[in-house]
Amino acid sequence: MAEHSNGRSPAGMWVFPQADQITAQVMERTTRRCKPHTIALVVAALLAALGVVGFLFRVAADGLDNYNAWGYYMAAFSFVFMVTSGAPLATAAFRFTKSHWRRPLSRVAELFAVVGVLNLLLFIPMVIVLPAIENPTFVPGMEGEMAARRAIWLGSSGVPFGAPALWDILGLVALAVTSMAILWLSLMPDLAQSRDRVSGFRRTIYGLLAGSWHGTKRQWIQHKAGMMLLGGFYFMMVVFVHFLIVSDFAMSLIPGWKDSILPPLYTLIAFQNALGLLLVILFILRKWGGYQEYIGISLFWSASKILLGLTLLWTYHLFAFFITFWYGRLEVEESILRYLMFESYAPVFWANVIFSFFVPFFILLWNPVRKTAWGPALAGLSALVGGFLFSIRIFVGSFNAVDFKEFPGELYSLGLTRARIQDAVIPDLWDIFMVVGIIGAAALVYLAAAKLFPVMSIWEVKEGAMYQRMGKLFRGEYMILAKPE
Amino acid sequence: MARRPILGLFRDANAAADAGDALKGAGISENDYDFLTDSPYPEGAFGEREEKHRIYVFPFIGALLGLTSGILLTSMTQFAYPLVTGGKPILSLPPMAVVTYEGTMLGAILFTVLGIMFESRLPKPKLGLYDTRITEGFIGVLVNAEEDQHNQVQELMTQAGAVEVKREN
Repeated sequence: MAEHSNGRSPAGMWVFPQADQITAQVMERTTRRCKPHTIALVVAALLAALGVVGFLFRVAADGLDNYNAWGYYMAAFSFVFMVTSGAPLATAAFRFTKSHWRRPLSRVAELFAVVGVLNLLLFIPMVIVLPAIENPTFVPGMEGEMAARRAIWLGSSGVPFGAPALWDILGLVALAVTSMAILWLSLMPDLAQSRDRVSGFRRTIYGLLAGSWHGTKRQWIQHKAGMMLLGGFYFMMVVFVHFLIVSDFAMSLIPGWKDSILPPLYTLIAFQNALGLLLVILFILRKWGGYQEYIGISLFWSASKILLGLTLLWTYHLFAFFITFWYGRLEVEESILRYLMFESYAPVFWANVIFSFFVPFFILLWNPVRKTAWGPALAGLSALVGGFLFSIRIFVGSFNAVDFKEFPGELYSLGLTRARIQDAVIPDLWDIFMVVGIIGAAALVYLAAAKLFPVMSIWEVKEGAMYQRMGKLFRGEYMILAKPE
Repeated sequence: MARRPILGLFRDANAAADAGDALKGAGISENDYDFLTDSPYPEGAFGEREEKHRIYVFPFIGALLGLTSGILLTSMTQFAYPLVTGGKPILSLPPMAVVTYEGTMLGAILFTVLGIMFESRLPKPKLGLYDTRITEGFIGVLVNAEEDQHNQVQELMTQAGAVEVKREN
């Protein structure tokens, strides 16, 4: 193994793993017993168990017919969904752009596909609690109420078959299938290389998933084309599903909320959070996971610029969201600003802005900080906190904008009025259990996947090792990169 | 005489490319030998034939099927329950767009996965000739040849620098 830097860059800027040792080293690290990993697994399992307890008590106390009680569940689901659905996209996007620094990041991101399956399970209760689009108590001529609440599904002939539940679920299924297919394709060469180095159930699983992979030219070409296609489809799908989730579970639940900026705002914070979490995981793997020779500072340096860009884009969209309503000055627009930003959820909103914009921006502003592993990881951690607060603000807010138990007709009213603005909902014990449980369950699934499969994309790191080396140019020593395409 | 595989192992990619040239020179068809590697080498790195694939056809067919299903499902539902609202037409495009987009994407994704499996001939019940040293960076040159050609092939690969030539038991 070799680590390199030149006079202008910190130690460990570029790393050059030795190709003939990568498979053995990565598999040794994957299969060895690791106490901190085991402890993390146990903690995550305990949190997930708390979540189950919280869920059962919430069902017993409030049932599934009043969506008001499920705001924190939805917020936690949304947070996990944002992070885990955005992560596989990082792999696809950086493969598209042929960014060589991405190689150690790829598998760390792809493994989130496994959490995508958990997302599907977590989503089912939300589909059940979502109130009907049609107003069940509507009588023609009724004053102040509409026949249906405004949703993206509403056409002149009612809603399409199965909408919104069926199509929301199918969207998540498509995401899960695509990300799992990307993970399987990416794992195939690594599992074929590793199946003779492992034993027991790992060997059986590796053998099954690797199929008859031999690494022929034909297989590599199919592999590349398949990953590119699926990556493209994943991108087309993930943005669309974000749009569905935020439209159906936030916008359509606040009477009169019509906003074209919220879906991109949601997608941007999802991408920012996903990249942030990847940087945190890569920092942990580099510092304590034994992958220092695989994860160079150059990865953090390159990814931090994208994180900075996403941070700025999110802030721009937030401002656009605000200014449109602020200038519009309709009563419903003023009410929404008061409710979600400046009155009911003001503390959460300002904390959201601080953690999603100010902290990452002022960390990532400085190039010397971007050229460290801790700087981008810290900014990523802050973005995660901000994303969590964003989810609480938007989804707890939307789920409690009207008192559905007392006044169900309000959900079908023309718009949120000043008089009807509710107070912020403080989480009770079961809410807290469900929130930590959902996050714990996602962590549990990811940690288990990271124990079963290599967290480094062996074939991709080897390919990188083939193309990169240090070399002399004039009087300096620089990283030289071959770009065959 | 049956065609059987024979595998040459090379430590160096240049030597493997030389073996490919020698096999071509000896009249062995380019379709009868392949290079096995542990990571994707650039196309043409071994002077090998250009590989063609039809994987892009699969998502196209899937997308067409998905789009058709989406349009049929939404339009038939709207015609089955013809509620005229505000004098607007029965067929309402915006809500149809969401369903047809999702149908199109689902079709494309599922057919891509099927296409990858079909085009890569996966899964295969029998693994075939292989050597685990390929996972450590060795290059394998796998030749499918008549059994009476095996000695000649072995000699060509050894001359090119093969560290070992393996035959099927």
